[in-house]
Amino acid sequence: MLEIRELTRRFGDKTAVDRVSFEVPAGQMTGFVGANGAGKTTTMRMVMGVLGIDEGEVLWQGRPITRLDRRTFGYMPEERGLYPKQPVLDQLVYVAQLKGMSRVEARAQVQELLERFGLGERGGEHLEKLSLGNQQRVQIIASVLPRPAALILDEPFSGLDPIAVDSMVDLLREYTRAGVPVLFSSHQLDLVERLCDRLVVLAHGRRVAAGTVTELRDAGVPRFRLVLGGDAGWVRDLRGLEVLDLDGTTALVEVRQDGAEQHLIAEATSRGHVHEFVRVRPALSEIYREATA
Amino acid sequence: MTTAPNPDPNAGPSRHPDASRERGGDAPWLLVTRREIVSRITDKSFLIGTVLMVAMLVGFIGFTAWQEERTSEVTLGATPEAVAMAEAVAAGAPEVDDKVEVTVEELADDAAAEDALREDEVDAWLHPADDGWQLTSESSEQDALTEVTRAVVRQQVLTENAAGAGTSVEALEAGSAVSTDFLRGDAEKAAVAQAVGFVFVFLFYFAALVFGMQLASSVIEEKQSRIVEIIAAAIPLRHLLAGKVLGNTALAMIQLLVYLVVGLVGLAFTSYKSYVPDLSGPTVWFVLFFLAGFVALACLWAVAGSLASRTEDLQATSTPLTMLMLVMFFGGISLDGRGQVIASFVPPVSAVVMPKRILAGGVEWWEPLLALGLLAAFAVVTVAIGERLYRRALLQTGGRVTLRQAWSTAE
Repeated sequence: MLEIRELTRRFGDKTAVDRVSFEVPAGQMTGFVGANGAGKTTTMRMVMGVLGIDEGEVLWQGRPITRLDRRTFGYMPEERGLYPKQPVLDQLVYVAQLKGMSRVEARAQVQELLERFGLGERGGEHLEKLSLGNQQRVQIIASVLPRPAALILDEPFSGLDPIAVDSMVDLLREYTRAGVPVLFSSHQLDLVERLCDRLVVLAHGRRVAAGTVTELRDAGVPRFRLVLGGDAGWVRDLRGLEVLDLDGTTALVEVRQDGAEQHLIAEATSRGHVHEFVRVRPALSEIYREATA
Repeated sequence: MTTAPNPDPNAGPSRHPDASRERGGDAPWLLVTRREIVSRITDKSFLIGTVLMVAMLVGFIGFTAWQEERTSEVTLGATPEAVAMAEAVAAGAPEVDDKVEVTVEELADDAAAEDALREDEVDAWLHPADDGWQLTSESSEQDALTEVTRAVVRQQVLTENAAGAGTSVEALEAGSAVSTDFLRGDAEKAAVAQAVGFVFVFLFYFAALVFGMQLASSVIEEKQSRIVEIIAAAIPLRHLLAGKVLGNTALAMIQLLVYLVVGLVGLAFTSYKSYVPDLSGPTVWFVLFFLAGFVALACLWAVAGSLASRTEDLQATSTPLTMLMLVMFFGGISLDGRGQVIASFVPPVSAVVMPKRILAGGVEWWEPLLALGLLAAFAVVTVAIGERLYRRALLQTGGRVTLRQAWSTAE
């Protein structure tokens, strides 16, 4: 498990990351969302040791992370890039060697991964000769070399076509199944919702929300929607509830006092037909908008 | 699927840092050095540039040698009364200029001689004139022949006149000889030293600029493409810098040695071959000074690259360095006297000035050692400063980084 504790980074007067804490549990995919400039990239760079940490710490398996630990992490920087004018195979082998693999090992694994992404025949070509989608695939390969202990991916899906997204997702799932913690940032909330076990929301350098998707959607004041056979105007008179919306037979209420919803349902059934009484959980995008507002 | 991570269920993430990998791989700086060299040496423009330079060197030396070897054969026309003198010229020619070979063509009279000249049967026509002798050629100058003729005729006439006066040329010339002696070697040697000194300065300037620019732009390439973040996460940046500096230094040295060897071997095929042994010592010194000087500057070039965010910024961030290169170049060429002596100890200019002084001769044994030591110390300082600046500037994105920012910013 990767733990981020009270991480802080200042650039001059500006605090880019302000006492941010969260966890990336083993075998789980943690989505990292937030507007541009919220501090996601800065946080990831600190986790990878690419940027110095002003305050706070990063723990790996319960102890402070070391350079050697980080060397086993897979990392994809924000504006990913490799050497455009170098052959694909050569530079992937180079990256793998920098991470401590022997040349022979590295070649074998790179070739395997290239084949897996349908690039087996193209290892000798210069990176810039590949299509953008294929360049992305090469970048992904670079970040999972050698079999990573954890994956820190900054916007890994940006610019990928849906098919590439799917194969990337498949690959990431393989790693989480093997117990690898994965942290990735994204602007695509639908994707984050579909993929992530957990979510961390950053706004203006602060963590504004964190937890599983269900936890986040359950958090906050419960809301219920009530659809009746007759007019629902009477709902306004009940105590402990705030009516957010009222439209003929339909009412959306927020519970301000514990158990008020029980009175509501009792009252409703005593007054006639109840067509619908349901807890309304906000969509992730709503939570995101509220949290980052 | 063979690439499934962790096929071994026991090898959970906690045990993942694979100890054998730590031992198995090469040192990071060595990997970087190797990559720098391999990627450059397989680069077509680098290879073509080097081959072209060698071809130019060989061509130039070959042309010089051919020029020197060429003997000019001239035909000297003479009417009967001048034949004796013409033959004396032909006989005396090798002593005056061993590149001139004179054959004598006897001609009937002046008219025939003029015809022969016009028909190009002879190159020049020697005949007596009112106050001595005259050498007539059609229109082109016959410099070598003129010189030979002048010397031989003078000697011949002097001998006759001396005999007429009852004395000898030797007696007449006694005590008049001015022999030359040079405190700092002879003039030709000084000229050779001057020329080779220029070559040294130029080679240093050329290599430092070309390889420096290359180093800086490869730093920018890594910074701009953000691969530097992947590298920084894997190895300490110190290793990256060391590898890049070492790789480029090795490349520059290889190229330099090729040029020097081709140059010296080529020189051995020309009439300057007697200088080759004398040049070898200074050349070895030059290589040492080049090495220390290049390393000192390479780190600064790396800093110039790291301060830029895009290739377009390099022009601005490398200006102080290109100025320094020019100062070294012109200082190397033009300094003399006391200025040269002082500059030969001041790094980094000493890298070009001291080898030049060694070439010219008259340097105490300790002087190159002291200069080299100072240069090496300077290199140590620039490496230390360069490393700090490079490490801090490299990961800063968004526009150019100033030196002050790079120096004072937190990592």
